[in-house]
Amino acid sequence: MLYSDIYQTAKSAILAHRMRSLLTMLGIIIGVGSTVLMVSVGRSFERYILDQVESFSSHLIEVYPTGFEKFGRSTDSLTFSDYEAVKKLSTVESVAPVIFVTEKVVYGTEEVSPYVFGTTKEFFNNYSLKVEDGRILNDADVSGARSVAVLAAQAAEDLFGDKNPVGERIRVGERFYTVVGVMQSLGSALLQDLDTPVYVPFTTARAQTGQKFLSYMSMKSTIDDDALAMADITSLLRQRHSIENPDNDYDKDDFRARSAAQATEIVGTVGLGLTAFIGLIAGISLVVGGIGIMNIMLVSVSERTREIGLRKAVGATRQDILRQFLMEAVSLTLLGGIIGIIGGASIGALLAAIASKFIGHVPFVLSIPALIAAVSMALGTGLVFGLYPARKAAEKSPMEAIRWEG
Amino acid sequence: MASKQVPLIETVDLRKSYFSEELETAVLHGLNLTINEEEFVSIMGPSGSGKSTLMHILGFLDQPTSGKYLFRGEATRTMTDDELAAIRATRVSFVFQAFNLLPRTTVLENVMLPLLYHPTIPASERRDRAMHAIETVGLGDRATYYTNQLSGGQQQRTAIARALVTEPDVIFADEPTGNLDSKSGNQVMEAIQELHAAGGRTIILVTHEQNTAQHAKRIIHLRDGHIDSDTTKFKRLNAKKNHNLTK
Ligand SMILES: Nc1ncnc2c1ncn2[C@@H]1O[C@H](COP(=O)(O)OP(=O)(O)OP(=O)(O)O)[C@@H](O)[C@H]1O
Ligand SMILES: [Mg+2]
Repeated sequence: MLYSDIYQTAKSAILAHRMRSLLTMLGIIIGVGSTVLMVSVGRSFERYILDQVESFSSHLIEVYPTGFEKFGRSTDSLTFSDYEAVKKLSTVESVAPVIFVTEKVVYGTEEVSPYVFGTTKEFFNNYSLKVEDGRILNDADVSGARSVAVLAAQAAEDLFGDKNPVGERIRVGERFYTVVGVMQSLGSALLQDLDTPVYVPFTTARAQTGQKFLSYMSMKSTIDDDALAMADITSLLRQRHSIENPDNDYDKDDFRARSAAQATEIVGTVGLGLTAFIGLIAGISLVVGGIGIMNIMLVSVSERTREIGLRKAVGATRQDILRQFLMEAVSLTLLGGIIGIIGGASIGALLAAIASKFIGHVPFVLSIPALIAAVSMALGTGLVFGLYPARKAAEKSPMEAIRWEG
Repeated sequence: MASKQVPLIETVDLRKSYFSEELETAVLHGLNLTINEEEFVSIMGPSGSGKSTLMHILGFLDQPTSGKYLFRGEATRTMTDDELAAIRATRVSFVFQAFNLLPRTTVLENVMLPLLYHPTIPASERRDRAMHAIETVGLGDRATYYTNQLSGGQQQRTAIARALVTEPDVIFADEPTGNLDSKSGNQVMEAIQELHAAGGRTIILVTHEQNTAQHAKRIIHLRDGHIDSDTTKFKRLNAKKNHNLTK
């Protein structure tokens, strides 16, 4: 039998039984499509989270008092001279001290309770915050302890609505500040918190609150290995705070240094868990799709066995039969698989595009392993449940096959 | 060569039993039968006497349980699947009582089907040969019809076209008119007769009807899996014919 004959035979057998072929293909399309969709959505979401975290956090290190994290421990441990000492370390740059001002912020009749950060210009660099209007805090603001404020996007909207806040005066607690700048929105659901603060000069905040200690410090490491920079900071601060801690028992420290890279790892683990969960759902849809394919193939075994008997009666060899059925199974699977992949990927891309409108750019990640697994499953079921009965039928004598009723 | 002619079909003590759940149903009880080339043989007998069973074995559609079946002098028992397939493709054809056409396909596709598996007829000749066979059975204007758009007689004539398209040595027809009214039955019988008249072809026909059987020159009666009688009409004419063949 010629190759083109095998192809033609398989094609006309598929076309002669459109409904059967369509149902088989539907099983493949659904199995492959939903697997590709599910896993891709999981991967895209994971990528989205990682992108978000990485976008503002590369080499970011935060140092805060233990009381910040553990209830009952002191929040008064980091001093201004600690800040000045850390600033001198060669492993870090762009160090920003922060003091929280826990006061209400008022403009006219509008009143909000955002975080008010007393800090320096380095802070904006550390978190990659960008100006929308006006300017950020500068060195002169800090050295002169000026009463100026910069609003994050959400804070500006809450206080001023559509009005331009630059040049307006707001009240923080008992003190008045002139707004000199508004920051861009980060436009991401995950980073919403960074859109709400009000920033004032570090020195002004210290004067207003009378606080001796820092709420926390943020900085960037100058070397690729954040852990090394953190070790540097940790040993410096232990020395300054007279803490003996050769075993790195964090409970003995009165401060804690953490890199955003660690946070990224945590998010990555969460994302992996999510992918595993979605993989499970995808696995279920694979099995369901596989059962669908199997059912259609088993239901048609009687009819196909008769067909095989007939073909053998007019001279088909076992090989001819097997090649035809192999061709049919592979064609249906590949066609269904391609439609499933295109369908699943399109819906996934569409979902990513829709999500991007609401929570910031969501990249679409097509999961190749899921794609391969899905197509292999379809091919596997097709071959097992399509070829196995065909093989059995082809081994019967033509008359046995023609009369076979299952 | 004037030596002894090798018969087309020869069986020695041919037996067939069906087995279902260890239960043996013996159907053919040791048949000895010789059929020569270009014979037209009718097989008759009561229902259940084993006519179809015998036809299926002789037509390479089933295996005997024991005994010898020699086709053109060659033992068939030891043939491989491929050798059997080659004989089905080139030398024998079968016309069933139940038509057994491929569903949801056209007359032309059905008739072309055996050519797909024919080892020597080139693909380019398939369509012409199939059309020729279809015209032979008088269905030229129905070639593109789907088989379910045909009358029973037309379906059976399609099956006959499928049987003769490979120009086989022998055509087996198992009650080809059994499902047809007398008019379309006659048309089918005419087609079969013409086939034989054209020469070079052995026809083995199972029928219930005496009229139909009369078309044949030799009638074999089966009863309970035995040969009850085997009579040849116009003995002289037949002998002369055999003589001609061996010359
Ligand atoms: N596949 C089978 N399994 C078991 N027994 C069978 C099978 N096919 C036929 N038989 C039995 O073999 C016997 C002969 O059947 P066969 O079909 O050869 O008869 P027949 O002479 O062709 O009858 P009819 O004229 O009704 O077609 C019957 O008793 C039947 O029950
Ligand atoms: Mg019968």
